[in-house]
Amino acid sequence: MQVIEYSAVLFFAVPLAILLINILFPKQLAEKFSIYLAGIAAITQIAASAAGFLLLSAYRLHEYEFSFWDMTNAGSVRFGVNTFSLVILFCIGLVSLASILVANRTVDKKRAGYVNLLMMLMLGMNGMVMVTDLFSLYVFLEIVGIASFVLIAMFKSDTGLEGAFKYLVMSILASIMILTGLSFIFMQTGSLQYAHVVGMNLLEGQSSPQLMLIYAAMTLMIAGFGIKTGAVPFHSWLPDAHQSANTAVSVLLSGIVIKVAGIYGFIVLTGLFSKLPAVNMALAIMGTVSIIIGALFALRQNHFKRIVAYSSVSQMGYILLGLSAGSILGLLGAVVHVFNHATFKSTLFTNAAAVHEQTGTYDIDEMGGLEKKMPVTGFSSLAAFMSTAGIPPFAGFWSKLLIIMALWDSGFQLFAAIALFASIFTAVYFLRLQKKVFFGKLLSKFAGLTEIGGSIKFAQIMLTVVTIATGLFFPFALLYLKGIGIL
Amino acid sequence: MLNSISLFLGSGANIIWFMIVLPVAIGVVLWFLGKHYIPALILSLVSAAVNLLFAVSLYRSEGFYLVFPFSSCGLDIALNVYSFSSMFLLFIAAGFLLIILYSVVFLKEKNYAGCFMLYMYISLAMMNGAFMSDNLGVMLFFWEGLLCTLFGILLINNMHNPKTAVKALTLSGTADLLLMLGIIITAYQAGTLYISQMQKLPVSGISAFGFVCMMLGAIGKAGSMPFHSWIPNAADDAPTPFMVAFPAALEKFLGIYLTARIVMDIYDLQPGSGASIAVMTIGTLTIVLAVAMALIQKDMKRLLSYHAISQVGYMVLGIGTALPIGIVGGLFHMLNHVIYKSCLFMTAGSVEIQTGTTDLRKIGGLAKKMPVTAICFVISALAISGVPPLNGFFSKELVFDAALESNVVFYLGALLGAFMTAISFLKLGRAAFGGEYKLPSAKKYVRESSAGMFLPMGVLAVLCVLFGVANTLPLDGLLCPALGDTEVYSGWPHSTVLVLISIAVLLLSLGDHLYGSKKSGSALDAADHIHYAPVLKNIYNAAEKQLFDPYNWLMHVANGFSALCVFIERCITWLYDDGVVGIVKGAGTLLQRFNDGSLSRYLVVAITGVAGIIVLFLAII
Repeated sequence: MQVIEYSAVLFFAVPLAILLINILFPKQLAEKFSIYLAGIAAITQIAASAAGFLLLSAYRLHEYEFSFWDMTNAGSVRFGVNTFSLVILFCIGLVSLASILVANRTVDKKRAGYVNLLMMLMLGMNGMVMVTDLFSLYVFLEIVGIASFVLIAMFKSDTGLEGAFKYLVMSILASIMILTGLSFIFMQTGSLQYAHVVGMNLLEGQSSPQLMLIYAAMTLMIAGFGIKTGAVPFHSWLPDAHQSANTAVSVLLSGIVIKVAGIYGFIVLTGLFSKLPAVNMALAIMGTVSIIIGALFALRQNHFKRIVAYSSVSQMGYILLGLSAGSILGLLGAVVHVFNHATFKSTLFTNAAAVHEQTGTYDIDEMGGLEKKMPVTGFSSLAAFMSTAGIPPFAGFWSKLLIIMALWDSGFQLFAAIALFASIFTAVYFLRLQKKVFFGKLLSKFAGLTEIGGSIKFAQIMLTVVTIATGLFFPFALLYLKGIGIL
Repeated sequence: MLNSISLFLGSGANIIWFMIVLPVAIGVVLWFLGKHYIPALILSLVSAAVNLLFAVSLYRSEGFYLVFPFSSCGLDIALNVYSFSSMFLLFIAAGFLLIILYSVVFLKEKNYAGCFMLYMYISLAMMNGAFMSDNLGVMLFFWEGLLCTLFGILLINNMHNPKTAVKALTLSGTADLLLMLGIIITAYQAGTLYISQMQKLPVSGISAFGFVCMMLGAIGKAGSMPFHSWIPNAADDAPTPFMVAFPAALEKFLGIYLTARIVMDIYDLQPGSGASIAVMTIGTLTIVLAVAMALIQKDMKRLLSYHAISQVGYMVLGIGTALPIGIVGGLFHMLNHVIYKSCLFMTAGSVEIQTGTTDLRKIGGLAKKMPVTAICFVISALAISGVPPLNGFFSKELVFDAALESNVVFYLGALLGAFMTAISFLKLGRAAFGGEYKLPSAKKYVRESSAGMFLPMGVLAVLCVLFGVANTLPLDGLLCPALGDTEVYSGWPHSTVLVLISIAVLLLSLGDHLYGSKKSGSALDAADHIHYAPVLKNIYNAAEKQLFDPYNWLMHVANGFSALCVFIERCITWLYDDGVVGIVKGAGTLLQRFNDGSLSRYLVVAITGVAGIIVLFLAII
């Protein structure tokens, strides 16, 4: 057990240590070497989460709780990891690594600042995933939020500042809502520990005003996490912010931040309150609307990153639908889709960075036939788009399949059908992107174009390998999960 | 020796190898031999003779029942060789020997000879298989195999203009589809696919529908109405040996075989019942309408082809009575018809080879140049017209007897058919073989055909006489034992009155012919007074324009249906190409315009979302 605790401690210790090292070292040195330190942090996180996953299954445990202080003390904060949160921790490590690899090319100045903020962001996200009470969740959520604003704004472009400002305003709205919702729940339960809240039957013996209070809390928290997720109708900030940020930051925001800050909140909410009727229904409707509206938006964009950002809105809808099923199958589908989305969305943003580095533009109308000059980028983009559209045997197929199966089992047949047919939209907008950018005739102005090299190429290859391998080996993963008793 | 052959064939899978696979293999060899005349002649004669030997030995054996498990879903290849089926094996083997001899000689030096032989031998294999099958599903397989070879043969000479082939395929295919449907219903009702296990089903309710479908399929294969109209087209542009083989012989055997099996073994058809009347009506209509068309034809092959349709009517009429005498008469008529109609088509082919045409307006007076052909023609023409004491007379009398016993209307219809048959053959015979020699001088050296062609003709003509004079031979020797019927039908017909009426009708037709030829001035136009009679003229015109062709009706329906499908398909395409795309693009543009980047609008949308969640909660709680 000690081993698990040590590996869990790493999730906090490593980002903090690197943050401190970065600040204490002289600025020139930090500018030069901090990015490598960050890489070490990301790789450590990947290794630690993988090790934790293996240890949990070796001990045949589903979850493990620990505390940095005596667990009986009043001021202690309990932490816990379980199989699903370890998957998300793995994603955090993976996307951070991708972001660092991209940043190595796209971030020239303020590398130390970028790394510091990234460490804070990782710390906040790791904390969110590992805490076991709602208030601590809120605290780490704020850390994530603040780190994100600054990351968007720090490169001081006009659009960056505008995007960051929009995100800031919407995020503060979300914070207020979540905090108010928390306090309402606290009024009813007297505790915010997950274990306590889930044990209480909130519906029984409650008078009408008290029930009102609970539903008000639900409304506020769903809306708050909805804003953090970027689900329709709370999505408006997302494309602006993700498009205007530096691409390395976009990878982070789209790849993992919206999932930890938003979707993980929903995972906690459905875990605690899925007995309340209408919560699942609200998620299902929000998910379906997000899928369709996000796809419609993505169809009409001409900015590479904006298409990919709207696609995030659409894909978040699938994850919400999976959660709304309220079954372990749905949760599994949602978490696997979080993982798949982390890989293929990072791939696409990485490709956006690669294309921008080589051609100097994000406008897909000005591109064409890049496949011939940039085969690695073209292929990784194709793999990512097939995975997003859910074409077998790519990874996205399995997670969508699980989600649709879970919806069908839970009696949401209509939503399952919509989710299935909306996959066509996904294919359509990415096929459009793929066709305009990579297929067709090579424009004469790109005759001298070369393939991207260095760390971005490494990131592309790494992420594509993960996408394809996940798709090919997913049946074994399902068998494994069945073996350890989760399914 | 026959016993040991039948024992050999009846053990293990030998029967499949030697009756079904071997003909196909020989067909493949003949295909490769192609235009090599002598080897092809020897091989085909030897193989057809061996097949005849097998058939004779099977016929002489006591019969056997073999099952070859084919798959797990009940489709065993069950072969039932018993008196009735082995009689048909004998018929087809004997007929095939003569036809194949004629075909090889006829197709000498033709490019498509090899291909034709391949199809013929596959057809033989399929027929053997169909006659032996006890399982209706397996029989259907062989049945459809024959459809394929039919299509193939019609295609080989007309690759660039496959209209006739397509027409034959469509019509026969429709008939076969009906048969398939009928078999499904029958098997469902009977609970089994094996004929030998079927209790005779009553013809009522769903079974009646099944009976009608199966019956239409069976008589459709035999060339009865309403699946007949490709045969005259085939007469125009298919090689003559095809006409000898398919419409005259093979298809008659197969179709009438199944018709008889349906009436005798599968369904319990009561004489005088509605189903029986329906079948007899189809038979009578086929007799009268087809022969009326034959009357006005001016081409030898075309005229004969209408008779090939018309004569089926007698068989269907006879079997449709469901009386023992009718069934025996129908089957006897089938046998006789194959003999004289094959002979007639062979004489037509012989004329075609020598003169290059079968158009009656161009030929004439051939009797002096081609005496053997002329004699064979006269004998078989007299047989088909029902002149005593030839074979056609006796089988027709049996059918007349049965028809009269059922209903006098059918008897009158059959008599009318006999009347017009006699007229048309008087006209045909006199136009082709009598009168002046008309061919242009370049064709002066018309002479008798080779021995390979008049040998089969001669054998058939002799059979016409033999089966008439000594009709006890086929009736008591072949048909009645096979049917298990102990009644005696051979010898002179029982009813003298009917014989007298028939002879009177023949005399009447002779009188009509003489009147017609005198009125029009030539034997060829002897039927013109009927052709151009006031009301008939309009009907004939319409018929000549193919307005009554069921194939054209079918094509009109098919065209309408395809136009409807095209329309639906266009609507769907529009929906995909323009409708959906327009909606999606429009929606995207609308959303894009709304989402103009102003933060206050974003906030309003978000607050609306919160309100939406509240409304949802209020609605569900």
